[in-house]
Amino acid sequence: MPWQNQEGPWGSGGSGGSGGGGQSPWGRGSGGGGGKRPPDFDDLFRKGRDRFRGWFPGGAGGRRSIILLVIAGIALWLLTGFFQIQADEVGLKKVFGRYWSQVGPGLNYNFPAPIGEVIKPKVTRRNTVEIGFQSSSGGSRTTGVESESLMLTGDENIIDIQLAVIWFIKDPELYAFNVREPEGTVKNASEAAIREIVGQTPFELARTQGRAQLEQQTRQLIQKILDNYRSGIEVELVQLQRIDPPDAVISAFRDVQAARADKESSINEANGYYNTVTQTAEGAAQRLRREAEAYKAEKVAIATGETQRFLNVLAQYRNEKDVTARRLYLETMENIFRNMTKVIVDTQAGAGGTVPYLSLNELLRAEAARRQSSASDKPVEGSGQ
Amino acid sequence: MNRLIVLGVAILVGIIALNATLFTVQQTEQALVLELGEFQRVIQQPGLHVKIPFVQSVVKFDNRVLNFDAPPEEVPTSDQKQVVVETYAKYRIADPLLFFQTMGTELRAQAWLRSNISASLREKLGAVQMAQILTGKRADLLQQITDEVGVKAKSIGIEVVDVRMKRVDLPKENSNAILNRMTTQRRQEAAGIRAEGKREDQKIRAEADKRRTVILAEARRDADILRGDGDAVATEIYNKAFGQDPVFFDFFRSLQAMREGLDQGTTYVGPASGDFFRFFGAAPAGTKPSPAPGP
Repeated sequence: MPWQNQEGPWGSGGSGGSGGGGQSPWGRGSGGGGGKRPPDFDDLFRKGRDRFRGWFPGGAGGRRSIILLVIAGIALWLLTGFFQIQADEVGLKKVFGRYWSQVGPGLNYNFPAPIGEVIKPKVTRRNTVEIGFQSSSGGSRTTGVESESLMLTGDENIIDIQLAVIWFIKDPELYAFNVREPEGTVKNASEAAIREIVGQTPFELARTQGRAQLEQQTRQLIQKILDNYRSGIEVELVQLQRIDPPDAVISAFRDVQAARADKESSINEANGYYNTVTQTAEGAAQRLRREAEAYKAEKVAIATGETQRFLNVLAQYRNEKDVTARRLYLETMENIFRNMTKVIVDTQAGAGGTVPYLSLNELLRAEAARRQSSASDKPVEGSGQ
Repeated sequence: MNRLIVLGVAILVGIIALNATLFTVQQTEQALVLELGEFQRVIQQPGLHVKIPFVQSVVKFDNRVLNFDAPPEEVPTSDQKQVVVETYAKYRIADPLLFFQTMGTELRAQAWLRSNISASLREKLGAVQMAQILTGKRADLLQQITDEVGVKAKSIGIEVVDVRMKRVDLPKENSNAILNRMTTQRRQEAAGIRAEGKREDQKIRAEADKRRTVILAEARRDADILRGDGDAVATEIYNKAFGQDPVFFDFFRSLQAMREGLDQGTTYVGPASGDFFRFFGAAPAGTKPSPAPGP
């Protein structure tokens, strides 16, 4: 049998016994087939192996190869120890679980796991704890959490408060190693603080002018509590998002506002009435005064006119008394008699003894008729002088 | 070939041995080394440590400030009011050995905290009136509770850092009563304000009417005065003028009166006598009668 007579296809130690070994499937030696042969893989492999083995005089199972392999492995593993710290972070290096040092942003090195570990707290980031509400992922809508938001005030009323507590990491070492669950701690401390402060504040004050004071005092108390725990956390800001009466009583509160508005509008209406009435009265008053003034002016004017006329006549009269008097008298009588219905009777009954018969009724009736007919063509008669 | 296997086995054994000998204590941990179940030593320093394999074992505890949230409790105050209180506590395992011997696990520690805090709460809050919890006294009470529980906690190796009330509320019925009170208070206030508004409204309107009366009365007064003035001035003018010759005035004015009075349409029935008719019958003396008109 061909495979019975030797130790192994690779022959005994020493130089590569390629001569005794394999047979190239593509033919023996040169010759065979026309043209170029396909690359001899087996040959290449053998050459590579030979070169490789040249480095390890002890052979593939030799000590030195193993050592080099191990060294390579360790080197690779050590390379994984590089890490990067971002600008908003700080790196806390731990070796075998023990805190070693703090490093800043950039490329750094620490022993890789399982020997070393790096904790990277974000020290510039502002974190928010919400009390009394929960904002949705979009951040724009909030839903109230009544169990957290309703609390007692100093005067035993109930108030609805939503607040946001904004904090950041002040001391990364304390933050990382001193308190378990820092976020939960801030929330607990905040709830306790706001309730304590509100519990000492009267309802109306809290709701109106006391807001800023509430925020201040709460921030201070939360900080005091957190410092007591040595948490390494600093509270930057406490913001009251909402401070209102509880939903159940809000309509009654709004009614107070409405009542104030009603009162104002009542008063405004009344004032409007006042203005209207007084304006009208002033107008009437003016008119009354004007009329009186007109009366006065008229009276004075008439008096002045009449007296002037009189005085003119008087001056004439003074010049020639008798003549003027006579003239005036005759003119007047002339004027009077002109338009009178006259019946001249002789009352001296002695003449002839006639008793005059006066039918006064007919006379007056005739007079009335005449007056009516002449009413249409009224004579323009001045009592001339 | 054999050497490989041997090496592999050797490495494996080495790893197991290392595991049994070396252990790490994290920065946030503290550890007890027990030898066959008995206490050997306590380790507070973090890092790599060595122990005797298999004979010694390690028990680790957290060395940080831990949190305990107690469930809500209804606690009566001295004035028979009930308050629903929810507390939280911050504690540390200060003495791990003692803790291990008495409690062993955080779970049991929490149960211990729960009952002791509850007892302390009832004692302290039961001694004060409800209104006092709603004042600066609360901080005082909390400090007392913290101290009291803290003292007891020493016996189980725990340091109580803080006990605080997260929530202090009244039971549902009382809360509703308060809400009702708040509602009615506001409704009364609203009614009061509206009544005020009405009152003001009426007051202003009455004032307006009064003002109007006064304005008109004053105007009438002024008008009367003016008219009176006018009359007076006119009379003065008349008097000044007519007074210059009362006799002539009498004559002149009578003529005018007659002229105005005996106007158109009056009928005169009477004799042709009087001054007007003086020359009715005859021409005045001294005048020659005009000759009778000739053809």
